[in-house]
Amino acid sequence: MSAAWLLIPLYLVPLVSHNEVLLTILIFTYILGILAIGFNIVFGYAGQLTMFHGAAFGIGGYATFLILSKLGISFWLAMLPMFALVLILSMLVGWVCFKFRLREFYFAVVTLAFAELIRLVVLNWNDVTNGTLGLLVLDKPTIWWPGGGVIKIDGTVPWYLMTLTALGAVTVASQLIVRSWIGRNFAAIRLNEELAQTLGINTFRYKMLAFTISNLFAALAGALFGFYSNYIEPAQLSITQSLDAIAMVLLGGMGSILGPVVGAFLLTGLPHVIEFSAELRAATYGAILILVILLMPRGVVGLFSRWRHVS
Amino acid sequence: MTQVILGQVLNGIIVGTLYGIIALGVTLTFGITGIVNFALGQFMMIGAYAAWHLTDVAHLPYPISVALAVLIAGLAGFLSDRALFQFTRNNLVNGLLVSIGLISIIESGALLLFTATPKNMDFVLSGSWTLDTITISRMKVVTFAVLLAVIALTWLALANTWLGRATRAYAQNPEAAMLMGVKTEMLQVGVSVYSCALAGIGGALYAGIYSLEPSMGALFILKGVEAAILAGVGNLAGALVGGIILGITESIGALFLPTAFRDAYGLVFLVAILLFRPSGLFGGQK
Amino acid sequence: MFLEVDALSKRFGGLVAVAAISLQIEEGEIVGILGPNGSGKTTLLNLLAGLLTPSSGTILWQGRDISGTKPDLIAALGIVKTFQNPQLFAELSVLEHVMIAGHLALKRLLGFARSKTIFAPKSARQELEARAERVLRLCRLSEGAQRPAAALSYGEEKMLGVAMAMMCEPKLLLLDEPASGLGQAEITNLGAVLRDLREHGTTLCIIDHKVAFLAEFAHRLIALQNGNKIADGTAQEVLGNQSVISAYLGRQHVGA
Repeated sequence: MSAAWLLIPLYLVPLVSHNEVLLTILIFTYILGILAIGFNIVFGYAGQLTMFHGAAFGIGGYATFLILSKLGISFWLAMLPMFALVLILSMLVGWVCFKFRLREFYFAVVTLAFAELIRLVVLNWNDVTNGTLGLLVLDKPTIWWPGGGVIKIDGTVPWYLMTLTALGAVTVASQLIVRSWIGRNFAAIRLNEELAQTLGINTFRYKMLAFTISNLFAALAGALFGFYSNYIEPAQLSITQSLDAIAMVLLGGMGSILGPVVGAFLLTGLPHVIEFSAELRAATYGAILILVILLMPRGVVGLFSRWRHVS
Repeated sequence: MTQVILGQVLNGIIVGTLYGIIALGVTLTFGITGIVNFALGQFMMIGAYAAWHLTDVAHLPYPISVALAVLIAGLAGFLSDRALFQFTRNNLVNGLLVSIGLISIIESGALLLFTATPKNMDFVLSGSWTLDTITISRMKVVTFAVLLAVIALTWLALANTWLGRATRAYAQNPEAAMLMGVKTEMLQVGVSVYSCALAGIGGALYAGIYSLEPSMGALFILKGVEAAILAGVGNLAGALVGGIILGITESIGALFLPTAFRDAYGLVFLVAILLFRPSGLFGGQK
Repeated sequence: MFLEVDALSKRFGGLVAVAAISLQIEEGEIVGILGPNGSGKTTLLNLLAGLLTPSSGTILWQGRDISGTKPDLIAALGIVKTFQNPQLFAELSVLEHVMIAGHLALKRLLGFARSKTIFAPKSARQELEARAERVLRLCRLSEGAQRPAAALSYGEEKMLGVAMAMMCEPKLLLLDEPASGLGQAEITNLGAVLRDLREHGTTLCIIDHKVAFLAEFAHRLIALQNGNKIADGTAQEVLGNQSVISAYLGRQHVGA
């Protein structure tokens, strides 16, 4: 459980610093870190380059909010049907892709096509999603706190603690998966799929599993994102969203559980350190992606560690 | 009603030819290097903005602008190949990701230089031809003819010249070609640059008809990839036909379904083809 | 009938790699397959292992038609193949290789509970580790099992392939040229491994060019040429067969 322990000291940050900017950066880091960790599982560990996680991220936000508003239930309860929806979509898209044995490039393109189709649906289904204008989210998640009853997660520090906890849960779950025989099979599929098959590993099933896990994590991140930033819009479903996650994972390093979070931190914090116009920001992301691939394929964390262990 | 449909079909053919030239670039690069340069759309945009700038700002004659635009696009392709793609030759995923990174850089560059305001080129070839009640602008016809010629010449060159044969040999069996003295690295660079030049001419001609925006690159590469896959990746003649099919479908679709659906046709084709006929309508490599 | 192959063919475009081959393998047999390069040996094994789909013909395994079944299911049914050119998981250690290969064994240990647990219960893991240790010792790979597999010599890589196949507890083990590229000491070791497998009742089907090696172990030999089966019988019968001799040595040597 070593990676998760690293997160514990972060609980102390709000005690030490009242810098709103820092805390906000960290909140977004944790949220996008969840998205990035999910992508790392399907790509870094299982070796499947997907472009679907952006769509899952957006669906997480839209579905949770719409279910919450239409049914009048709490944030957490609304997430359950949302997860079910993402699960079904993942299985559909995944089944389509893996059953027809789409490899690499074609798999990326088809997941991209599905993601774009979903975005177009959301963009144009004005009655439900309000189209390009997006949706204003004023509801807050609530939790039951001993001694205080049901309280709203509102304000920087409560959100900080909640997102950090969510990240912790995701980290623990990822570690369990990756260090188990499931994680071993992911690595086997990534490194030599044909050999894995001759050893009896049902690669279709494991690719589906990795794909689904990545989308579920992405959806969780999307829900948190939408409710924290109070705004849900079609851009959260876009290819750009997927690419941002990819950049974070590559920058941070694919060889570890928390590497992607480091990448998320660097890319989230960057615009605060250097003032960017919107155009320059996109160009910088692109440049970072290129530089990392050409010069630092193991990412930032990879610079500090040797080779990674499977289990 | 038939006139409207016919008119739309003609428009669809023109747009489809533009899709086709990008598809040709995609199919050429994929067939020979195994990598898809997702940034091809950006090179089309470079060609388009170059042609616009040279014609409207530098006041050069349009044909000269087109020629220069092609050179510029080709040069940009050469630079990106030397600086980036030569390091990702053997790794498809890395090549893909690098080309995606390149997209952001080039598109941002265009935004900074030209802003998001659409640019419209002053009429180069005004007037139109009329047949019965169907009118089509001269520029569109010229565009179609030129692109058709370029594609046909490419196809002929690959079939009949030594270089073309060497290229095809390499596509079939890289090791054997290498052993027979074909300079494979030069071939890879050459194909890379040529596809960027193709995109450039598509862009330069596009500038004469439609308005320019930095986001056009992303749009066209997606359509180009869709058209290439629809026809069958690796099938050169098919690339044009695939593009035209896509173009016509979109134009006709616009008559009956809301415009929001326009981009959906290509996506649906993509998924359907890869599932039911992965080698494409006309048979490609995979 | 353990394995029954009926008129099996495989075409690649115009090339016929395997032409209507029929053969049978009994349980516990050791069958050697020989033939010049390009005679279809590896293609035949790939067909049996599910890595290729037959163009026509059937493969019956323990009475069940497995033509066209996916490789992972075939492995689960008990047929495992090694590769002529060693296939490895780059980056991973020797031990990790055999642990991954223990997937089927783990499934069998856990039964249906497998899908419910991410953790394998300690007993199952220990059992798996014990088996891995035994297999590695047999294949002379236990020293430096933590090494990355990329650091192994060619012969060791081939033995790792055999070790991984053994972890799958195969009923029928298909070995594609296990001895090629091996030095004398390694061949002796391989022989010991094969003997151990034979003692445990594993049926073996071995492709190799080292005819003497095959003749020593095999109950039966099958000779292929240009995708056709040209001989099937004891070592003596097959090696004395004129077509086999001419196939290997060329037509001018017939009768020599």
